[in-house]
Amino acid sequence: MSTTPTGRNRHERLAKRRRYRWLMVGSIAVGVALSLLLRALEYPLVGEVVYWAGIVGFVAVWLATPVTLFDERDVALERRAAHLTLNVFAPVLVVGASAARILTYVGAYEVPAVVWGALWGYFALFVTFAVAYGWLRYRS
Amino acid sequence: MNNDLPARRETAGLSQADLAAAVGVSRQTVNAIERDRYDPSLELAFKLAAFFDCTVEDLFDPAIDPDRLHE
Repeated sequence: MSTTPTGRNRHERLAKRRRYRWLMVGSIAVGVALSLLLRALEYPLVGEVVYWAGIVGFVAVWLATPVTLFDERDVALERRAAHLTLNVFAPVLVVGASAARILTYVGAYEVPAVVWGALWGYFALFVTFAVAYGWLRYRS
Repeated sequence: MNNDLPARRETAGLSQADLAAAVGVSRQTVNAIERDRYDPSLELAFKLAAFFDCTVEDLFDPAIDPDRLHE
């Protein structure tokens, strides 16, 4: 078994990783929560500034940290979560778009513009996925 | 994938956090590997093998039947 004199440094690096990850998540969470609160208190512009401060904090920690924040299992979990999300929204788009078209065609229901917007948003998401997949496949 | 990691780690008197620190992953990742909930990458498998001074095959048993490779 390997033993190294740098074991303590490695523990410190893992502790630092945990700390930075909390800082990243905390930055976003506090930014969003405070911005919602400020919006509710009718300070929308200040709320927006706080929101962006949270975003900038997240990105700053992400880019400036000297340690790797996510290991290979995190990447694998992210990939599985993305796959699951696509699998959930694919049927929503397929069924939802068809239902919206049929209801509009037969005049049974006036589909609100916001629903059409959401469906086009999903469509754009899947087009982006297809392009990204094709590009990655071409490159590999 | 079946693995010998918990036994080797305990024999070495290490915690999951110690092993995680040694190979540069989180304690949760070591835990997931030990509980057979996550298969490590080749790179991590080789790092673990190097740490325990053994081969990857000593640590991991994929339970693959050589007669059924095509499946």
